Amino acid sequence: MRQLSRRAALALSASGAALTIVGWNEGAFATAKEAADDIAKFTGGKTAEKAKISIELPEIAENGNTVPLSVAVDAPMTAENYVSEILVVADGNPRPGVATFHFSSMSGKAEASTRIRLATTQNIIVVAKTSKGEFFTGQKQVKVTIGGCGG
Amino acid sequence: MAEKPRLKLPKEAKKGEVIEIKTLMPHTMESGQRKDKDGKTIPRKIINKFTAEFNGKPVFSANLDPAIAANPYMQFYAKVDASGTFKFTWTDDDGTVITAEEKITVG
Amino acid sequence: MTRGGILVSSAVAVAVIVAGAYVVASSDANAQAKKKEAPLETKDDASTRPWKRYAGWPTRDYSKYNTLGNLATAPAPKTPRKLAGPITGDAANGAKLVADRARGGSCLACHAMGPAGGAALPGNVGPDLSEIGNAGREDEWLFNMVFDARVYNPETVMPPWGTHGFFNEQEINDMVAFLKTLKSPAPFKTVLDDPGKRPVPVEKRENLDPIENPGMWAVDKAQELWKQAGAAGKSCKSCHSNAKAAFKTWAASMPKWEPRLNKVLAVEEFVARHAKATTGANWLMETDENRAMSVYLHFLANGTPIKLDTASPAAKAALERGKVLSERKLGQLNMACTDCHGKAANHWIRGQWMGEPKGQYDHFPTWRTSLLAIWDIRQRFQWCQVNIRADELPPDAKEYGDLEFYLASQNEGLKLSVPGIRH
Repeated sequence: MRQLSRRAALALSASGAALTIVGWNEGAFATAKEAADDIAKFTGGKTAEKAKISIELPEIAENGNTVPLSVAVDAPMTAENYVSEILVVADGNPRPGVATFHFSSMSGKAEASTRIRLATTQNIIVVAKTSKGEFFTGQKQVKVTIGGCGG
Repeated sequence: MAEKPRLKLPKEAKKGEVIEIKTLMPHTMESGQRKDKDGKTIPRKIINKFTAEFNGKPVFSANLDPAIAANPYMQFYAKVDASGTFKFTWTDDDGTVITAEEKITVG
Repeated sequence: MTRGGILVSSAVAVAVIVAGAYVVASSDANAQAKKKEAPLETKDDASTRPWKRYAGWPTRDYSKYNTLGNLATAPAPKTPRKLAGPITGDAANGAKLVADRARGGSCLACHAMGPAGGAALPGNVGPDLSEIGNAGREDEWLFNMVFDARVYNPETVMPPWGTHGFFNEQEINDMVAFLKTLKSPAPFKTVLDDPGKRPVPVEKRENLDPIENPGMWAVDKAQELWKQAGAAGKSCKSCHSNAKAAFKTWAASMPKWEPRLNKVLAVEEFVARHAKATTGANWLMETDENRAMSVYLHFLANGTPIKLDTASPAAKAALERGKVLSERKLGQLNMACTDCHGKAANHWIRGQWMGEPKGQYDHFPTWRTSLLAIWDIRQRFQWCQVNIRADELPPDAKEYGDLEFYLASQNEGLKLSVPGIRH
């Protein structure tokens, strides 16, 4: 496995071991509480309103290795009023952190896409902070497919 | 790293236009949570920060955790008001910083 | 005289030129003939020997069972086992066993099993067993369906769990005891849980975009290799200076019957044998270089519909052999290609959609997101076999040639789009 991961970046890995997720071994997973703690730290304890966030994720992911994620916040993105940060956490991975995106008024749109690792079926929680100190949140579940043939 | 970062953004734009930028950095993003076949933890080695600047001013940045997939991909936007240069940087856990630049003409 | 002499000599010169032109034309014709007969190394194997299974793959030995190259599976029993009396089993242990993925894939791969079986993404290849406890089935029938369902249906897709040693008799008793407790429908919370309603995955990733598909990087790598001189001091470029023009459709005509090898030859084996015979490069199958070259040669023919040369009797015979091999029951799970990709096609195996053969070839070699690696079709064949617990063959095995030829024939008309991007 070790060799696989080293070579994976070369895009031409020699064989490919198929038994565990390439990202990590199964292990102790974060509780939803750890994710909640990360969010509380981000908001400074303020309540985030369930609004303005759209999350694009597949409902079902064929594997958890590279799940496409897009987040967008409905915001004007002017110098006076823009989304400054978006926190993304997951409640079923070994650690809740996924990414924090930082925007400026030059960003044009409060929107970002990346690809994430999901160890199992879980919720992705997104919290946005505006330059005015408001917080908005949204969440979505992804079912990570269980393969048919086993080991 | 033998592979270079890949960039996709328009060469030209209108003043005030919001353009789409896609970047991809070849990297294993070793999570630090996997064990090798002898049971030893494989040390974490990820790109932990990505930044995009336009003419020296911050446009977008991201702090990345091990839950970001290998070959980290970023898609985001920028509002361009004048011609200039985008500079992208990726910072590795080991301190390596990889940069790439791309010019855009705004008319 | 002088003038006449000039005339004479120039006439001679013309004749020489004509003769020269004739010779050139003739060597062109030879080149044409040679082009049809690309040099191939025909003595050595095109992959490593002895073939060693890839690092990280299961290391179990399945030599007691059929492979594509060898018939070894013991004949199926003809009659059901008689039970001494009613089954006494531990239903709680049975509940664990039916969901144990390490024992051959778990029953949920093919059957929904009600609330107790755990309704997370069950498959629907086999009947929904959620209410089997109400069906009035006899213990002996339930036992034998699990132990070896071939006694009721020789062609069944159901693996012979008892005969092939996945579970012992007591464990099967426990599973039967569990099955008898199943009396209420599966509580599917969302349409995703219900294999009857779960939406079929649609592949919409831009597989030819290097930002979307890291497999595309092989195209860059191959273009470097193209210029690299091999042991014989020549490179691909020495003979093929314009790769784009020369290979615009070629890969879409492969594989083909190759009389010099007396087997079906596909792109990857061609690369190994042709490189060795020309540049001297040692690009055996399943090396990074071979994969990159195969991706590139397919990439150059992208958009060309697959069209095979199946006219010769030898090609027809190979196709027929490929079809027969696709129906052969293999491995400890006792499955044929056509079990999963025929009988079970367009069904769910757990959360994975099982495709038909058509559409399983036009994108190979393909980038596998689950492994972050490029796989050619031969490695895909090998993995299918190891997954159904059969020993794989070396990638250049003639049986794989026949099978690939048959699979490609089922994909004729589809346009190449390589490298693909798949799970």
